[in-house]
Formats: sequence, structure tokens, C-alpha cells
Amino acid sequence: MSARPLRVVGRPVPRVDGLEKVTGRARYVTDLVLPGMAHARVMRSPYAHARVRRVDVTRARALTGVLAALSGAELTWCEPYYGPAYRDRPVLAIDVARYEGEPVAAVAAVDEATADAALDLIEVDYEPLPPVITLEEALAAGAPLVHTGKPQAGIFADLSTLRPEPGTNICHQFHFARGDSAGALASADLVLDDTYRFPPVQHYAMEPHAAVAVWSETDGLTIWASSQNPYSVRVELAKMFDVPLARIRVVVPHLGGGFGSKTYAKLEPLAAALARAAGRPVRLAASVAEAFQTVRRCAARVHVRVGFRRDGLLVAVECDADYDVGAYADIGPRVVQKATYTATGPYRVPHVELAARAVYTNTTPGGAFRGFGVPQLAWALESLVDAAADRLGRDPVELRRQNFLAHGEEFAPGDTPIDGKLEESLSRAAEAIGWTRASAADRGRGVAAMLKASVAPSVSEAIVRLHTDGSVSVLASAVEMGQGTRTVLAQIAAEVLCVPLARVTVVQPDTAVTPYDQTTSSSRSTTMTGRAVQVASEDVREQLLRITAEALGVATRDLTLDEGAVVAPARRLPYAEVLLLRFGMSGGELIGRGVIAPGRTAAPLGGSTPFWEMAVGAAEVSVDEETGAVRVERYVSVADVGRAVNPLLLEGQDEGGVVQGLGHTLLEEMLYADGHLLNGTLLLYRVPRADDAPPALECHFVENADGSGPFGAKGAGEGSLIPVSPAVANALARLTGVRLRDLPLTPERVWRALRARR
Amino acid sequence: MNLTMVVNGSSHELDVAPHSLLLDVLRDSLDLKGAKRSCDTQVCGACTVLVDGQAVSACTYLAVEADGCSLLTVEGLADGEALDPLQRAFLDAGAVQCGFCTSGMLLTARALLRENAAPSREDILHYLRGSLCRCTGYRKIVEAIMTAARTTR
Amino acid sequence: MLRPFTLHRPETAEDACALLATLGEDAAPYAGGTELLLLMKLGLLRPPHLVDVKRIAGFGDIADGTRLTIGATVTHRTLERSPLVRARCPLVASVARHVANVRVRNVGTVGGNLAFADPHSDLATLFLTLDATVELVSPRGRRELSLAEFVRGPWETARRPDELLASVRLSPWPTGTGAAYVKFGVHERPTLGIAVALRLDGAGERARVADARVAIGCVSPRPMRVEAAEARVNGVAEAELGDVTGAMADAAAESVDPADDLHGSAEYKREMVAVFVRRALRVAVARARGAELSASFPHAVVA
Ligand SMILES: Cc1cc2nc3c(=O)[nH]c(=O)nc-3n(C[C@H](O)[C@H](O)[C@H](O)COP(=O)(O)OP(=O)(O)OC[C@H]3O[C@@H](n4cnc5c(N)ncnc54)[C@H](O)[C@@H]3O)c2cc1C
Ligand code: FES
Ligand code: FES
Repeated sequence: MSARPLRVVGRPVPRVDGLEKVTGRARYVTDLVLPGMAHARVMRSPYAHARVRRVDVTRARALTGVLAALSGAELTWCEPYYGPAYRDRPVLAIDVARYEGEPVAAVAAVDEATADAALDLIEVDYEPLPPVITLEEALAAGAPLVHTGKPQAGIFADLSTLRPEPGTNICHQFHFARGDSAGALASADLVLDDTYRFPPVQHYAMEPHAAVAVWSETDGLTIWASSQNPYSVRVELAKMFDVPLARIRVVVPHLGGGFGSKTYAKLEPLAAALARAAGRPVRLAASVAEAFQTVRRCAARVHVRVGFRRDGLLVAVECDADYDVGAYADIGPRVVQKATYTATGPYRVPHVELAARAVYTNTTPGGAFRGFGVPQLAWALESLVDAAADRLGRDPVELRRQNFLAHGEEFAPGDTPIDGKLEESLSRAAEAIGWTRASAADRGRGVAAMLKASVAPSVSEAIVRLHTDGSVSVLASAVEMGQGTRTVLAQIAAEVLCVPLARVTVVQPDTAVTPYDQTTSSSRSTTMTGRAVQVASEDVREQLLRITAEALGVATRDLTLDEGAVVAPARRLPYAEVLLLRFGMSGGELIGRGVIAPGRTAAPLGGSTPFWEMAVGAAEVSVDEETGAVRVERYVSVADVGRAVNPLLLEGQDEGGVVQGLGHTLLEEMLYADGHLLNGTLLLYRVPRADDAPPALECHFVENADGSGPFGAKGAGEGSLIPVSPAVANALARLTGVRLRDLPLTPERVWRALRARR
Repeated sequence: MNLTMVVNGSSHELDVAPHSLLLDVLRDSLDLKGAKRSCDTQVCGACTVLVDGQAVSACTYLAVEADGCSLLTVEGLADGEALDPLQRAFLDAGAVQCGFCTSGMLLTARALLRENAAPSREDILHYLRGSLCRCTGYRKIVEAIMTAARTTR
Repeated sequence: MLRPFTLHRPETAEDACALLATLGEDAAPYAGGTELLLLMKLGLLRPPHLVDVKRIAGFGDIADGTRLTIGATVTHRTLERSPLVRARCPLVASVARHVANVRVRNVGTVGGNLAFADPHSDLATLFLTLDATVELVSPRGRRELSLAEFVRGPWETARRPDELLASVRLSPWPTGTGAAYVKFGVHERPTLGIAVALRLDGAGERARVADARVAIGCVSPRPMRVEAAEARVNGVAEAELGDVTGAMADAAAESVDPADDLHGSAEYKREMVAVFVRRALRVAVARARGAELSASFPHAVVA
């Protein structure tokens, strides 16, 4: 490809769906109305753990206006279990309710009021059982078991090696080792060993989960879903109802935030079952309180041991992590194994021993959440690296620089070599925060770094259609959830095909229309879906060139594209004319196809990451010593993104990631007492507000065009969040000498630590 | 109960139950879906609409309270195709991501600028205390409001 | 989603009270609804009748006199912006500015705040330092109670089912009073609210603290005046205040009765009482002298 300067890629163009959003015209799932649509309501378990002896929905069903009333026991006409890792989650509780808020019965009625009234008529007999809420309780000898049956594997090939520990609450274990960590630690000059905790937190995507489902004889099931991965939802539904994939259509309109909460089936199975039973379209829209009962981040207890040589060389890391995946595995086992694989962070470590367990508890299921298990581990490792710097008398920035993996270096045999320059990110972050300048006496500074793999192997496909008027449709199934994917894909197609951005339309995901895409998560869309769109656009471009070359009798190498036209030495043919040449009439279209499917490799997890996400965070904090209240005064995030396809949107992503990270760092934690969630509404669960954002917040990007994505781009969006907690805690430790091991750093927790120091 | 209100300049007469919430009437009866339901507890601001210029949480506000009032929802912000300076500024600044908070943010900002044409950063942060955004990190939203204030003056 | 109810909109206190008397337990007074509708949506309350108090003549008035009378249905926003309130009780206006968020302030009322008796009320705490009394109306007539008598405990007041809160009366502080209200906490509602008001009698070096008032909210079942703390500073020379501040803060911390909850442990809250009493005192003393300290603390509001 000629090194033509880029026209739209790399520019901070406003988002293509922005106008719809600022005018209030954008439609989300909860905004959809179908003729004859019924409204669903869910009855949920008041107990964390209970035998469900009887669910009687007959009175509810008899109420005028009720179209369907379901209990778990009655779901004999479909496969009632689902789940991506294990099929362990019933659509409605069967025999046992395993967490407070688990759906036990559901109704669909002509309107919401009738559905509410019907819930009052449902009778449930519970026999409370002892719950296990914390990791300690769940792992204790003789602990009550959350699941007793034999687990059924879910839909994931890379989780074919699920390793539950029968007779315990451990639903999966992961182990990865290299070298001889025990030996290396025995001969290390400095060994540090500590346990860090990360709380269960709520995504609070502002749009709670919602689905509208309708069945028809011809089309099968159509479901409009607030989903980040419609194709995974499709597989679940096809299995549940035993229908061909082609008869399940999952459509995703605008999505009001995801952050992982909308990956894999959530409300869709229940909405589809109700629609089937009601024989009508059914709308199931969760409240935010119900979102707290649907999914959360996996809490973790992470024990890390690091060994350094006196000169600062990191020689060994041992990590032993327990993740609380809640009552159902969801994607927890994969969160655990994928994160643990990179528990050594961005460092070169010859000797490693990494182990982790996914542990069931009687709490809201834990699933994917921005960072996918890595924030929990980075919290521990990056805190320990700073502690080590302290003990070694080294500057934490320099100690990190010394041990960073280098560009091109192997992370693990068979996996992708490191594709970015960590030291460049670190230098930029250090410079922006003023690392080498003295800070004010009442301020402390800290840094932290991260490295994360994207999901592998994974598949993205795209179709690009060039129409007779020279406009372009991009068909792809990456979900726009605020991160800017639609805009970025449009920019990529516009760039390759040399058309103005306004001539490109990116179709919203619809499994009946837009081609396969594995998931919108793992920061993969720009790289994977973006590459598919690039390849599909190039396919169209080649067709344009070939048609023109043949018609004009010139070589394709003498042709170029320019502003919607093919330019030959003596002529300029607008695309419309090229299509006329091809079809002999005004009609027809050129269709390009792009498939990115790297397949399985010899890498330890079975696939090589398409890119490494890498970022560094630097924080400057102050603390009110008398109250323990921490204030993040300045924050700098530097992410190595290869190329910022849209710097404006990327900056928005990373600013949002930092502030979301400040949530679990300073404020957020789902708190339980006696098996009950105490703060399951926004009145009691505090997420960051505008005045919690650092007064000075900068997001920078390292762009060396060294990514495997289009134009050298690679994924971003999770990286900015991950270093936040260790960067803030490291800053606090450097300011006060006090190191905290449990998040969030609430004022009381900090106050206690400061008091203990005195 | 009878409810007469002017919404975005056009007058509506409706018969609503006393327990109808303003958010549901706007969304379901008037098909104005721009105001969203998120927290449902007056904390997040996604449901913000202006009643006689004052921001209210439509999720926790009886529709009948708006009787005789003039309402502004996000659908009424633009003048035809001409965007309100706030809408323009939100677009340009990248203050919109998933968009779920956006209508509430815009209307809150509109109410603020009506009261205070030249707000400081602190004034904006104070006014946004009940307006959550889980996507943006807020910086661009604050910046957009400041820009809109400047262009409006 | 709300369950159906009948909405009554009386225009006089007599009619409203008559309704309450007839409907008994089945009715709830309804003002802004910011608390009531929330509880009803959560299904914690299901009153079949709501009696709207916002149309009752006089309930929305703010009236001047020896005391300042604030009608029950005056909203936080009106309180914040009323020239009369700003002139007579400026701290009330600035505290009102920091209650909840702008939407709750636009709709929520002073009467609703006091009648709800949430232990985390800012107004109740502040009003205790203004010798507030509340006026209750019922078919039997009117009665006036001190705010301390009215608020009995968490969500519990001396209001009888057929009574309405008509207004709250405040006694503005004498000129020369310096006062501060400080609230602290990361949660939606404050973890702690402290009001301190005092005067400095005499000039310069010889000035002595007089009329000290200290009220503390959120950390006891109900907001309370803390005479033990007031006594520690009354009559103390300004120059010697530094010596007694610690004792005053300790007295305050000993007087409160916090519980362990989402806001924190009882121990922490007690300690924060001491910290913020000291801080509030400093700001109040400076204001009594006509100066303004630039005091800003994370997760705290200094009004
Ligand atoms: C998100 C949020 C944050 C908040 N933060 C704060 C805060 O920081 N500080 C603070 O002080 N407060 C806070 N509040 C409380 C707020 O001040 C009150 O919600 C509001 O003032 C209540 O007034 P209302 O008119 O809406 O009451 P309503 O909801 O109408 O009524 C509340 C109660 O009082 C009764 N009632 C109302 N009026 C009368 C009357 N005239 N006579 C007798 N009974 C009556 C009702 O029956 C009901 O039981 C917060 C509330 C919310 C929702
Ligand atoms: S939905 Fe009304 S304030 Fe959140
Ligand atoms: S843009 Fe998504 S919540 Fe604000």
C-alpha cells in the first residue's frame, strides 16, 4: 500500500451517532415499543441460599391481563440452564436459590401494573439454608456447597479444560509456571510477600439490562437486547430452545454503557422464555437494583510473593489468587485464568508460579468487568513493586523501567511478542506528573503500570457494501456502547475507500444481517473488527480497481482512489461510473468481505493475543490526615495504542476509565451482612461524581503504529483503569508511609492505617 | 385527572392517573423517550426534565404536578435543526459516549446557564452533583458546558 | 412504579387536617414527595391516600418578625435564594444550597425534611442552633413544639396522624454571631453534620466567647444540641480558645451516640465529630471576627 497520508484515520472527528444522542432521538432497548408488547416482572429470592420447595404461580396466571407466569420447575419445554463457562445458571431458580435476588418466578402481563399485581399472587415456599458470602466462608473446610451437581461445560472452546474441585466451592483452577520460582525466591536478595483484596463492585452501566423478545413461525426468535456480544447470546438461546442459529436474531440498538456487564446472556433467556409462553412480544427491563442482582465484578484475595536481586532485577513472582465468582460461574473461570496468566504484569520474570481459583459464593454472580480480572492482580503486584522499590532504595519509576518487557520480547512461548514500548509510556507519564521535580509537602506521587492480553483466539467478520451512489454500508457486529466503535469503523472504511465520513454508515448489530463478531470486550473491536472492516474495504477497493483497469485497459497499479473516484492517468471515474461499467445499469453493488480469524496457536491459553494492552498511570494525591479522606489532585494516564484512530473518542475512553477506576479505588464496594446486600441502590452505593474526578486529568497516547490493528492501531480502553488503584495507593504510601492492602481506600480505612502508624 | 401542559412548546391535554410518574407520561404517552430511567432514586439525573425552567427528577415526580406548566425535554432543546449551543458543545468536546446520561446532562446544564450565564468550574461541579455519567470521566462534560456558556454570552 | 392512590389537594389547613382525621392511617401528607414517593416506589409504604399540602394557603410563605417563619412547603431552593432568609439567617440559605442535589432541592420541602425526621437531615441539625420551633395544625387547633421535642428519633416525630407541620420558626442569631455548618461523608446523605455558632463579646484581646451553640446530626438517633461542648467555650477568651478546643471536641464526641453502619464505625464517627467540631469552631470564630478562612476538606462541605 502506498504511504498516502491519512485523511480521516487519526482525526478527532465527532462521533457518528452523536447527533442522535444529543437530540434524544437515539433509541435504546428500553425505548422500544412493539405492537401488543407485554411487560415482564421478576420475583426474586429474598434469601442468599434457600431450598425452593414450592413455587405456585397459578393465582398469578389467573389474574386478568396476565399472559404468562413461569416458575423454574415448569421450564420443562426448554433447556432451563445457561452460562458461558458452565451451564450452571437456571433461567429461574430450580430447587435451590443461590443468591439474594436470584429470579425465582416471572410474569408477563398487558402492562407493568398488572405484572406487579401478579407478582403479589405468587407463593413461594423457601427453606433457608446457610449461605457462604465471603471467600473465607466458601473455602472453609466443610463449607455449605453452592452447587452440588456435576457441572456442565458451556460454550467456550478455550475453557474445555475446566477444572472444578468436586466437593468444594471451587469451580475452576488455573495454574501456570515457568522456571523454578521456589529456587529463585530462596536465592533472591529481597522477597516480599503480601495479601491484597479487591472488593466486589457494580458496573452501573447507566442503562440497566433490558430485552424485548418476540417469536414468529417463520423467523423464529427475534430479540432486541442490551448486549455486548449478540453472537454469544444467540448461541445460548439456540441451545435453550433447540432452534437453528439462523432462526435466532439478536438485534442491538444503542447501548447505554456496558463495561462487561452486558457480555453473555443475562436477561435474554428469561425474556425469550416469557415471550414464548405469552405468545406475544415481551419486554423485560431491569431496574438498577436488579442490575446489582445480575452481575458484578469478581472480588479477589490475591497473595503475591516477589523476589528481587539487590540490583533491582525481578527474578521471581508467585501469585495465588482466589476470585469470588458468586453464585453462578458466568464467565468467571475465564476471567480468572486469563488474568492470572498475566499476573506478572509488564515485567520480565524468569521464574513464575501462578495459581488461581474461581470460588462460588452465595452472592450476585461475578462476571466480566473492564479489565477482566487484571485490576485485582495489578492492585497487588503494582503495590508490591513499589514496596520493593522502597526496600531496595530505588526509585519506583526506575525499578519498573529496569524490569519492563522490551518491544518484541516474548511474553510466553507461542504468544505474541510485546508490541509496544512500555518505557516510553512510563517516561511520558513521569514527565507529565513532574516525577523528578519535588512535589508540594502535602502531596504524594505514585505510578503503576499494566499489561493485559486481549481474548484469543477470536473471530471478527465484516462486510462492506459500496452502493451505486458511492456511499458505503459497513456491516459488522461490534457493539457501540459509548466507546466509539461505530465512528472508528466508519473512519476505517472511509479511509480505505477514500470517501467522506458522511458517506459511510455503520449498521447496528443484528445477527440476521451483520456478520459474526465474537464479542465487544477485551478492548478488541478496533483491532479485530477494525481489521475485518479494513480488509473488507480493501476487497471493495480491489474490485473497483480491477473493474476500471479492465474497462480502460490499464494496469491496476496505474490507478488510485481519490475522493470517491478511481483516478486513471487521463481520467477520473466517480464510483457511480465504475459500478455502471460493472453492471451496465444503475443497480448492483460491490461487496467486500473481511475475516479476521487467527485461530488456535501454541500459546499457553490456546491463542495468541492480537495485541497487548499497555498503560501507565501516575497519580498525585493529598490526604486529610485527620479524616483519612484521600483526594486525587492530578492524574496522568499514558496508553500505548499504536495509533489513535480517533484521539477525541480515545481520550474520552481513557478519562472515563480513570474515573471508573477511582470508583473502586476510593468509594465503591458491594457490602453484605447476614447474606443481604446492604447497598444495592444508587442511594447507598456511591459511584464517582463530577467533583470526584481529579481536577487535573490528562490522558496521553504513545503512537508508534506498531499494533496489529488497522493502520498500526491496537486496543485501548481498559488500560487506563487498571493502574489507578495501585498508582493512588503508591502515592499515598509515598506521602504518608502507610500502605493499604484492601480496597476501596475509604476515609475510615485510611484513617485507621494512619492511626496505626502514629 | 386532567393534565394540561406545554411540552417543548406544544400544548398537551391528557387524562392521567394520580400515581402516574412524569417520566412514564413523557415516555409512554407522549413518546418522548429522551429522558431515561436509570437509578430511579433521584441520584443520577438521567431522567432530568425542566418544569418551568427548574430541573426535576421525572422518575420521582407525579405527572399531575406539571399541570399548567411548561416543560422542556431534550427533544425540545434544538430549534428545528439548529442545535442548542450546549448540544453543539457536547458533540464537539466528546462529552457524549453511550448517551444514556446525555439528555439529563444537557437539561441540567441548560437550567444552570439560565440561572448563571457565566458559571465557574466550581459552580458547574456543584450543579452536577446529582448528574452521574459512568462513561466520560466528566472532564469533557464540564468543558462542554463552559464552552457553551462562552458561546451563548 | 407506583401503586394507585387517591390524591387530595386541599387548599386550607382545616380541610387537610379533616381529611387526615377521617382517613387516619390510610393517608400520608405529601409535599415534594422526594422521600415519600421514593418509599412508595420501593414498596416500603403503600398509602391509599395522599394529601397534598402544597396548595394550603400560607404553607409556602416566608415571613419576617422577631422570628423568621418558614412555611412547611418552602423548597430548599427557595430557602437558598430567598433574600429574606439570606438577610436574616444567611447560614440557612447556604446550607440549603448543599442539601442533596439541585433536583431534590427544587422539589423537596423544609417541612418534608423535618417531618420525615431522617437522622441525616442537615436542616434539623442547623435549626437546633436557631432555637427552632415547629408549628403543628390539627382539627384541634395549633400547637408549637421545640424542634428537639418534635424530632423524637429516627423517622419518628411528635406529629399526630391528623396533624400537619405548618411552619418552622427560627430565632436569628444576634448580630456579630459567627457560625459555620460543616458536613462530611462520601455517601449520598451526610455521615456527619455539625453546626457551631457563637459571638465574641468585647473587643480585641479581651473578647470572650458568648452564646455558643453546637448541634450535631447524623451520629445519634436524632440531631442534638451539645450543651457540654457549648459550656467548654462560653466565656473563654478568644486568645485561650486553642486551649479548650480539644476539651470541647472531646465533650462533643462523648455526647453523641453513633452506631456502626454503612457510613462507618461508631468509633470513627465519634472521632470525626471531634475533628469537625474543632474545624467548625475555627471557621465560626473567624466569622465572628468578620474574617473568612479558606477552609476546604475532602468529602466535606463548609457552609
Ligand atoms: C437523593 C437525596 C439526597 C438527599 N440528601 C440530603 C442531604 O444531603 N441533606 C438533607 O438534609 N436532606 C437530604 N435529603 C432529604 C431531602 O431534604 C428531603 O427529601 C426533602 O426535603 C423532603 O421534602 P419533601 O417535600 O419532598 O417531602 P415528602 O417526600 O413529600 O414527605 C416526606 C415525609 O414528610 C411527611 N410530610 C411532608 N410534608 C409534611 C407536612 N407539611 N406536615 C406533616 N408531614 C409532612 C410526608 O408524609 C412524608 O412522610 C435527600 C433526599 C434525597 C432523595
Ligand atoms: S432515574 Fe431519575 S434520577 Fe436517576
Ligand atoms: S455517556 Fe454513558 S453515562 Fe454518560
